[in-house]
Amino acid sequence: MSKNNSFLTDQKRDARKARPSSNSWRKWIGVVPFFIFALLFILLPSVNILAGAFRTNAGRFTLANFAGLFEPSILSAYWVTIKISLTTALVGGLLGFLMAYSVTVGKLPKAVRNMLMTFSGVASNFAGVPLAFAFIATLGRTGLITLILKNVLKLNLYALGFNLYSFWGLSLTYLFFQFPLMVLIITPALDGLKKEWSEAAENLGATRSLYWRKVALPILTPSILGAIILLFGNSFGAYATAYSLTGGFINLITIVVGSQIKGDILYNPGLGYALAVGMVIVMAVMMAIYYYLRRKSERWLPR
Amino acid sequence: MKKTALLLISLLVVFALALSACAPKPPVAEPPVVEEPAVEAPAVEEPAAAVDPMAELVAAAQKEGNLTVIALPRDWCNYGEAIDTFKAKYGIAVNELNPDGGSADEIEAIKANKDNKGPQAPDVIDVGYGFGPQLIEEGIVQPYKVSTWDSIPAESKDPDGYWYGDYYGIMAFEVNSDVVEVPQDWADLLKPELKGQFALSGDPRASAQAQMSVYAAAIYNGGGLDDVQPGLEFFKQVNDAGNFVPLIAKQATVAKGETPVILRWDYNALADKDFLAGNPNIEVVYPASGTIAGIYIQAISAYAPHPNAAKLWMEFLYSDEGQNIWLKGYCHPIRYADMQARGVIPAELSAKLPVFNGPVAFPSIDQINNAKMIIADNWMSVVGADVKE
Amino acid sequence: MKRGSFWSWLWVIIGTLYFLLPLISTFDFSLRAKKGELSFLAYTRVFTDPNFWATMRFSLLIALFTIFLSIVLIAPTAYWIRLRLPKLRGIVEFISMLPYVIPAIVWVFGAIRTFSGTPFFLTNTLFGTYVLLTTGYVVLSLPFVYRSIDVGLAAIDVKSLTEAAQSLGAGWGTILFKVIFPNLKVAILSSSFLTLAIVIGEYTIASFLVGIKAYGPYMSMIGQNKTYESSSLAIISFLLTWAFMGVIQLLTRGKTSGSSMAGAR
Repeated sequence: MSKNNSFLTDQKRDARKARPSSNSWRKWIGVVPFFIFALLFILLPSVNILAGAFRTNAGRFTLANFAGLFEPSILSAYWVTIKISLTTALVGGLLGFLMAYSVTVGKLPKAVRNMLMTFSGVASNFAGVPLAFAFIATLGRTGLITLILKNVLKLNLYALGFNLYSFWGLSLTYLFFQFPLMVLIITPALDGLKKEWSEAAENLGATRSLYWRKVALPILTPSILGAIILLFGNSFGAYATAYSLTGGFINLITIVVGSQIKGDILYNPGLGYALAVGMVIVMAVMMAIYYYLRRKSERWLPR
Repeated sequence: MKKTALLLISLLVVFALALSACAPKPPVAEPPVVEEPAVEAPAVEEPAAAVDPMAELVAAAQKEGNLTVIALPRDWCNYGEAIDTFKAKYGIAVNELNPDGGSADEIEAIKANKDNKGPQAPDVIDVGYGFGPQLIEEGIVQPYKVSTWDSIPAESKDPDGYWYGDYYGIMAFEVNSDVVEVPQDWADLLKPELKGQFALSGDPRASAQAQMSVYAAAIYNGGGLDDVQPGLEFFKQVNDAGNFVPLIAKQATVAKGETPVILRWDYNALADKDFLAGNPNIEVVYPASGTIAGIYIQAISAYAPHPNAAKLWMEFLYSDEGQNIWLKGYCHPIRYADMQARGVIPAELSAKLPVFNGPVAFPSIDQINNAKMIIADNWMSVVGADVKE
Repeated sequence: MKRGSFWSWLWVIIGTLYFLLPLISTFDFSLRAKKGELSFLAYTRVFTDPNFWATMRFSLLIALFTIFLSIVLIAPTAYWIRLRLPKLRGIVEFISMLPYVIPAIVWVFGAIRTFSGTPFFLTNTLFGTYVLLTTGYVVLSLPFVYRSIDVGLAAIDVKSLTEAAQSLGAGWGTILFKVIFPNLKVAILSSSFLTLAIVIGEYTIASFLVGIKAYGPYMSMIGQNKTYESSSLAIISFLLTWAFMGVIQLLTRGKTSGSSMAGAR
């Protein structure tokens, strides 16, 4: 008995050394630098926004800015932005996933994978005026592809109703940086799919599709969801591309914010800040949905 | 965890409310006291000296060694040459911030840098005419009267010297004549040949250039200086005719042929024409029935870290040399009439400046600000909502 | 896992086409600086502009510091959260998404207001300004870097690895740098690429803090009034950034094919 006791005590002691008690303050050290950084450089400016949202141009306290949020044109701006963000996040997510799949599980040559990764790195940030112009040069009325289609294939895109300067044209343009982003984010997750699992599944008689449905995708889902929420945020906050391509005609919330804070005409930064606060709220709601979905997908993973 | 989050959020909100409530009182109308400029009182009989260095000011400025400017694209009114000449002449380094900025950016930058003496704080700003009263109201500029003050027309400057007009331009069509037939007047914008060919060079809710285009359209298409709505109606017609492309036009989109007809300040259009040098051919045409002029104004920041350099910069810009540099960039310098009378404009420069004998409207500050609000508020509802899904 | 690679090739080809077509159009336009003929005039003009090289060097340097700072800041945090403080994950993720909804222009003005006066006086010196610039970029790239590393951590069994290393007597430093990081190679690489691209192309923060010294404002200046140069500049930036990433990838070659050391599940 005593031998057993001492054995157990020894084990417990060793265990404690290897795993410090979870009540120790030391637990928090790991995240302190990040929180200090976040406090100084993210939360402080955010509080500035929040404070500014309650101020008029002259500096007095007001709730009028928040009341302004409920104007129909502004609500519609939020809605259009959410729509385009969801669209490009989902489509970009799908396309990006398929491409990442091709170079990882799909066993394409290593050179292709390396090129894709670096290319995605550049493309994921090729946005703003150069991207807008690139798409104008490709699919605008005098764009290269438009002209080739017209002259070679006798296909007049614009006569058929296509228009680059529309919701779908803008989405097409956004996808240029959305799906490389997906590729970059999801590749490590796909790498993490062990060969042993698919082999084990095969040994047990599973078809590939069963393997994917029951093993691989469930494992990947939390990461996929995480990547998609990132894509959503990326599109939600995009400004320069939309402004250059559609001249503010498509009512996106970032453009409305911009017109209040920058520019030459309207100048109501208080309203701009209130709009930004609204954006934070939308983001928070989307993240809440994301957490819910992720928790459901993660619940049986050994975490 | 939920409780902590809730607590944190409510703390944040309370903190923010507190911050906003005890926001520092808006600066009073008069800016901080500044010593009278070392310069002598405004002009006497002697011809306004071109760039006769006022030794004290120059010395003080050189001691400061730096000037920070903001939102000055190098090709706008030939600012590039102005900056380079100033640098070479006085040996003062120039920090160029935010070349793409608009007037609101410049004002925000002054406000944000109130306590900052570093190179992010603008010393001087160049903003739209309509912003003049706001600059004084918000107390962000300090007064200064350049030595050539008297030759600046009275309606283009603040009598106390807080802001002063620097140049103006006239709204014109910039046309890629290789690709399209050149329109001569407003009505030509409605022609079916121009389907999908016309664009504005900005968003009328954010860009003064675009907004003045709408204002100009208003004046000569059934409206007037105080009746702006017809401008919106006009562009609605252009849009309905399918001639309007809703993107922000620039030199590149004109050259590409994507937006071969745009409305721009003539100095920008002429600069484009020079730069593209026939590749493609650009023509600059004033709408025959009339157009509008846009004045810009200069001011020195009340919190300028380099006030003497700022004043020297103003002296430079308002000297004959400085004004001629702007003239080279196709802008109408504000002292043009005076300089012409004294014959100090080189012949080749005045030959380059295009002549337009049609009506040119010069709206007042109030009229501009009034038009601003109407156009910005109504643009989307009257002309817009053309979101093809 | 023997399977036909037809679909894999198909997706990659579709994706490549999507990437390439806009770039080809831009390239085609950039060759037309001389009327009626194709020439590299627009490229020569860019390469002979000393400002191009100066601003590119500046932004690359800032990018390197940003990459370093953000990885050192975020990777240990993400790791720690997974290991010890899973309840904080929500807050940290939310914070990491905030940069998306804070417009850059609001951030830079807020940062100037906060850090220019007492007690920081960051903006009074050149060095301080560069520090502020770097932190701005760390904030901007936070969503990507955090997500990258988080996904990378999800793919390896953090707990077992840590316990295994600890039972062998490793201290935290060793665990982080010799066990966890090597397994995060791909994720760290991805986030470095993203950060590099972000910093090089960024306009707003750079334009208000350092003006035309940085590459973003330089590009925007060219883009305003030099048609063909702006297209050639876009292509050049693309190729240069790509080359730089290729160099990074070459230097870290060998271990980039996934979790080579991850413990058995």
